[in-house]
Amino acid sequence: MVRLRTEPVAIVAAGVVTPLGDVDAFWSGLVTGTDAISRIERFPVDDLRVGLGGEIKKLKRERRGGCRASQLLFAAADDLLARAHLDASPPRVGVVLGTALGGVEEGEKAVAGDPSARRTAAALYDGPAHALARRLGCRGPALTVSTACASGATSLGVAADLLRADAADLVVAGGYDILCRFVMRGFDALRSLTRDRVRPFDRRRSGLLLGEGAALVLMARDRDARRRIGRLLGHASAGDGTHVAAPDPEGRGLASAIRIALAEAEVGPEDVDFVSAHGTATPLNDRIETAVLKRVLGARAGLIPMNSIKGALGHTMGAAATLEAIMCLLASREGVVPHTVGLEERDPECDLDYVTTAPRAARPRVSLSTSLGFGGCNAALVLEGDAR
Amino acid sequence: MTGSEVAAVGVVTGWGRSAVALPPDAVRAAAGRRVIAVEPPRAAGERFRRATRECQLGVAAVEALLREASLGPEAIRGDETALVYVTAAAYGSSNRAFIRAIASSTLHFPYTAPSAVPAEVAIEFGLTGPYVILIGGAAATIDGLWQATLLLRRGQCRRALVLAVETFAECEDLWARGRWLVRPPLVESAACALVVPGPWRATYAPAPAPSPLEALARARAGETLACAPLIALALARAAGDAGPVTLTGEWRGRRAGLAWEAH
Repeated sequence: MVRLRTEPVAIVAAGVVTPLGDVDAFWSGLVTGTDAISRIERFPVDDLRVGLGGEIKKLKRERRGGCRASQLLFAAADDLLARAHLDASPPRVGVVLGTALGGVEEGEKAVAGDPSARRTAAALYDGPAHALARRLGCRGPALTVSTACASGATSLGVAADLLRADAADLVVAGGYDILCRFVMRGFDALRSLTRDRVRPFDRRRSGLLLGEGAALVLMARDRDARRRIGRLLGHASAGDGTHVAAPDPEGRGLASAIRIALAEAEVGPEDVDFVSAHGTATPLNDRIETAVLKRVLGARAGLIPMNSIKGALGHTMGAAATLEAIMCLLASREGVVPHTVGLEERDPECDLDYVTTAPRAARPRVSLSTSLGFGGCNAALVLEGDAR
Repeated sequence: MTGSEVAAVGVVTGWGRSAVALPPDAVRAAAGRRVIAVEPPRAAGERFRRATRECQLGVAAVEALLREASLGPEAIRGDETALVYVTAAAYGSSNRAFIRAIASSTLHFPYTAPSAVPAEVAIEFGLTGPYVILIGGAAATIDGLWQATLLLRRGQCRRALVLAVETFAECEDLWARGRWLVRPPLVESAACALVVPGPWRATYAPAPAPSPLEALARARAGETLACAPLIALALARAAGDAGPVTLTGEWRGRRAGLAWEAH
């Protein structure tokens, strides 16, 4: 197939809410190796095997009304709008959000007997995206992507498509998900949650812990952007077609997504300066992801610094890939690559240069970010940082 | 070639197993029933033992498409076929079952994710190409069809399946509360369009008013949410109109449009 190059898209600014805090606290927490995992307090967890997670204990500003997912999005939007303005006509501003769970907690309340019609509508997985669009006064396309834990990557790709097609002049894009009983019960039943700490790529890794957060970026056509923190050069997704819950043992979908994203960005393995890995700390994910990166990036794989930030935050599901994209751009701006919190003992099967122990001085220009999710969803982003 | 066209559409609804089975007037045909349910043909094999009804419907829609196009499954197998899946709510029943602990085991949690439906479809037909899942009603399906044309234009695939599934029966009481979102009868549906390179240029834009096809699909099928634009396409093709076509779809106050026109 003949592949067409796609125009890079500017990432103007970022705003987040995480267990570490806003963008500034998120970054300082990553470089200081802060572990944001704690006992979950917002809902009962005593009946679960594991009651730990990356929970946001307090939002700076709680709004009346709106579900928790919307509250997280509003908080991330506050952070974003402190750094950039939506200076376009409202019908030309779009919203594209990725989520694995949408408004499922509202669904729990509706099923439990809350008769509110508003509750029922909010339970639909696209409810929070529409709530954010209303809050920001965005009247352009409002899309929700749900490629499970790859959602926060796919959403940036779809947002870039809207801009390239001139369907919007600005897009608020990103991802979110909350910690709630529903998802904790699910992962608890799957026995995916570790009773130890999260140890991506470590020999002793025994599973993930979940986290919550919202991550937003403001995107614009590169030629229209007066300033930027970086650019999205390429994006691709690919399905495994092998299992509903487990990744393909050979990682074929992930490999395909990485290859296509690099081709779309017109960069090769030799151009990649940094890899933000999905790195969930499950035995299977980290081994497969390592093998795929070695296969696709070849000899260069062992020379590229990599990390996973899930040791610090937990797996924030729909927010994860956008948070990781933002981390890539901040690493470029600040000249520092955060280390992989929780990685202490090397696994012979995970033998790449995961930055360990302490942050590393490096200023990556081109970064690759990888994501995998339930349903065989895989996505890759190629980003270019704007160094100071 | 940078254009595209719809080569075939497969439709399964509570009214029957093709667009031809749709009644002339869905409201009249419903005779006061709020939900017109569909029981998908039970896909064979141990692998489908745990699959939800919406997963089965997704597989049935692709099978209907292949029959409509006179293609075998090998024609879509592999990494050159993209899968774009759209639903407003075909995760509601599995979410509800999990919340009520009817199905709270290891085996059921993965099926609460919207991604379970395209996963089962991808496994069944060996689809390993580009993959997008959008959540929303008819406007999201317009977005999904547009995504399919982009993937073709960029050379990321040779063909794209745009699949939509909607189920209502298990959450009928919840839908009754959200009645400003939907107008009965709620008709369970699954539909799949095969989008391929072709002579028409696809133009994607907000639509100020419903297209005649949107109105026709609504009148004949009833409320089918994300399936509506694909049912509209099937109706157009059943009427012998396989050329340029204008589709619109509305959801939560936003109406999107996609027009396939001559270059």
